[in-house]
Amino acid sequence: MKKGLITIAVIAVIALALFGWVKNSYNGLVAGEEKVESAWAQVENVYQRRADLIPNLVATVKGYAAHESETLQAVIDARAKATGITVDASNLSEEALAKYQSAQGELSQALGRLIAVSEAYPDLKANENFKDLQAQLEGTENRISTERMKFNETAQGYNTNLRSFPTNIIAGLFNFEKKGYFKAAEGAENAPKVEF
Amino acid sequence: MRIKGFILCLLLVLGISMPGRADIPDRPEPQRLVNDYAGLFSEAQKAELERMLVEFDDSTSNQLTVVTVSDLEGYDVGDYAVRLGLKWGVGSKDFNNGIVVLVKPKDGNSRGRVSIKVGYGLEGILPDITCNRIIENDMIPHFRDNDYYGGVRDACITLMKYAKGEISVKRDRSQEEDLITLMLKLLVFMFLLYVLVRVVGKHSDNDGNLGGGSGGRRVIIGPMGGWGGSSRGSSWGGGGFGGGGFGGFGGGSFGGGGASGSW
Repeated sequence: MKKGLITIAVIAVIALALFGWVKNSYNGLVAGEEKVESAWAQVENVYQRRADLIPNLVATVKGYAAHESETLQAVIDARAKATGITVDASNLSEEALAKYQSAQGELSQALGRLIAVSEAYPDLKANENFKDLQAQLEGTENRISTERMKFNETAQGYNTNLRSFPTNIIAGLFNFEKKGYFKAAEGAENAPKVEF
Repeated sequence: MRIKGFILCLLLVLGISMPGRADIPDRPEPQRLVNDYAGLFSEAQKAELERMLVEFDDSTSNQLTVVTVSDLEGYDVGDYAVRLGLKWGVGSKDFNNGIVVLVKPKDGNSRGRVSIKVGYGLEGILPDITCNRIIENDMIPHFRDNDYYGGVRDACITLMKYAKGEISVKRDRSQEEDLITLMLKLLVFMFLLYVLVRVVGKHSDNDGNLGGGSGGRRVIIGPMGGWGGSSRGSSWGGGGFGGGGFGGFGGGSFGGGGASGSW
């Protein structure tokens, strides 16, 4: 009689401990995912901010350097392409992120060419509106790199947790997935690739 | 599978070590708002600037820090300023109202570079355009004449004028006292717990329990050691002299807003 009670008590304690462990791991993963998603929202915010600046920039440059239409058109096209690619916050996989990054990278390059071309137009460079836009663009690029850095750090914390024992058991059980990272600077795309 | 795991680990390690390159200076000890690593200001100028900025921190809770370095360690000047702001935690955690003014002087062939970076909380009142104007109008003309102090001072005055309009909360020094009483309470609590554990340990005939007692003691000592080394503790040191010292950085965050310039 007494033995039976003890057995039940032991089982109850084990079940409770197991429940506590699963609950903590699961909730930890959910909280981590939530953090990654909010970091992602910030990243999208700053990229959107850049996209919003472009029409104004293009219009200003057009006023002074109308025959740079090819460069201008390249920016408009790249912007259309970049804003067309969105990533669902619940699917921040490596591939989805790479696609997003390459579209935004193309826009960065087109913008870089536009700024380089504008160097040849002293009147444009002296234009107050253009100066302001340039300052805003530069600040936005800086915001992009900051938010990307923060996203990577957040995703890394989450991934480490996800892959650590014993949390990885829970992650596998409930289908939590690894988050992708932003790769190094966009200019580094032409650097030789290291294949594993 | 194993090799894959190893490579992933390697990538992770590389990923950790790359963004956190250790060359951004650590938070100064004791904490101060003017950090002239490049040696551009005289002692009197440093003291004057520090006094002005500490007073501003006390009266509005906005933290403006001036940092000069002679080498950007390969970073873009704006990137350096953001990383430094994040690492030091300039501004308060609640308002994210820090501002970093970073100057790298012109040196031989390398151009002089300057950056103003504002925390999230001040981005509204100090948009990139405004920061750019401050750099163009207040700083670079002075810097061109090698008047670093004049440029930085003028910029700080303008920045303070703007920031005051957004956030102006008098710093409550009694909060620190609250922390002291809290720590005292914690100490008393730990002592009582320690006594309790000892008494229980002694009265029990079980040897295992005695071991538990000494284990508990170690746990109690552990967190105390941690507290002593925390930045809070060191910021009191800063507040000690003259009664008007800087209270310490508050853990504010930055999103990269602001502007940079060169001459």
